[in-house]
Amino acid sequence: MAGLLKNHRRYELERDLDKALNRVDFFRIFRSMALRYAFDHFGIVHLTNDGDASLLSGRLILHDLPSGMAEEYDKRHRFSESSVYESLITSAIPSVWTPADIELASGRNLLRQLGFDLLVCIPVAAPTSGSRYGVLYLGDQEELARGPFMELCYETVCAFDYFYRVALASKAGMGLTPRETEILRWISYGKTASEIALIVSVSEHTVNSHTATILKKLNVVNRTQMVAKAIRERIIQ
Amino acid sequence: MSETAPAPTVSLLLVDDDPNEDVILRRMAAKVSTISIVLHYRQTIADALDFIRTQDGLHLVLMDNRLHPTVDFRETVPALRQAGFIGPIGVISSSLDDPYFQAFEDYGVDFRIDKSELDATAIEFLIREYVIRE
Repeated sequence: MAGLLKNHRRYELERDLDKALNRVDFFRIFRSMALRYAFDHFGIVHLTNDGDASLLSGRLILHDLPSGMAEEYDKRHRFSESSVYESLITSAIPSVWTPADIELASGRNLLRQLGFDLLVCIPVAAPTSGSRYGVLYLGDQEELARGPFMELCYETVCAFDYFYRVALASKAGMGLTPRETEILRWISYGKTASEIALIVSVSEHTVNSHTATILKKLNVVNRTQMVAKAIRERIIQ
Repeated sequence: MSETAPAPTVSLLLVDDDPNEDVILRRMAAKVSTISIVLHYRQTIADALDFIRTQDGLHLVLMDNRLHPTVDFRETVPALRQAGFIGPIGVISSSLDDPYFQAFEDYGVDFRIDKSELDATAIEFLIREYVIRE
């Protein structure tokens, strides 16, 4: 992984993290981590003030929560007013919550509102940009002992660092891969995503994903500007 | 009175030479309460190709990595793409350790998942990630 040294201790996690290529791979990594520590679910939330900051569903960027749970929560509560959110904003120290915590003020008790008995919140920061996120683990088991808790925190920081670099980071200024250049060329010929998918033997989803990455890398906002800049920069003729 | 939106229907094809996997996947799919999954099953790549050529509205393919006797996804997935399928394809395997899995995108594969990781939660995530979000 570019930018990481041997000094960045990843222990036995390194093998799996180095192999992860897309969001499904990170879904697998975070989910297996949650299950390994006897949690039922995980969720990664973006702690930004952009958009509607009150919605949990709008902040979740990767999770395995039961379908509709976050949306149902949003109909009744405001995530930005929960005690857990406040703790994520005010401190970078990982926190552990149970429904009976006196710190969980009435009406702001995320655990009761979601129906779980244990919540671990691990604040994380994006490498390079410094944007803040929180990784949440939800379950119904007893509180973790100190050793496993610290391991979970360390593993989460490592996994999130990779997730950010692979799936979330703005790739502005980075060079295009041969596959991205190929797709850019077909876009410049006026082909649609489904036509390009047929031509290069990938799914339409993959074409759209490459197109989104090209937009980021070239720092442009639409396909027309993308092609114009690519010609100007002599990426394509 | 508020009306609940009907569960979306998603058509999914499993290609696996072991029919037991069809039974297992059907049980998992039945546990996904928020999506109505129509699961099709084909045992060979030839049958899968016939199915894809004749079936409209297929949303997602789950392809067993190794099909009897020796072919793996590096041959089967490009064949599905050549047949004109541009929907998402995921490869399932009991081991993702073989180095060639690192190049899965080069063969037209969208994602990989270990058989032991496949459950109702994972199926729902994959459908939301590749079908409903699209």
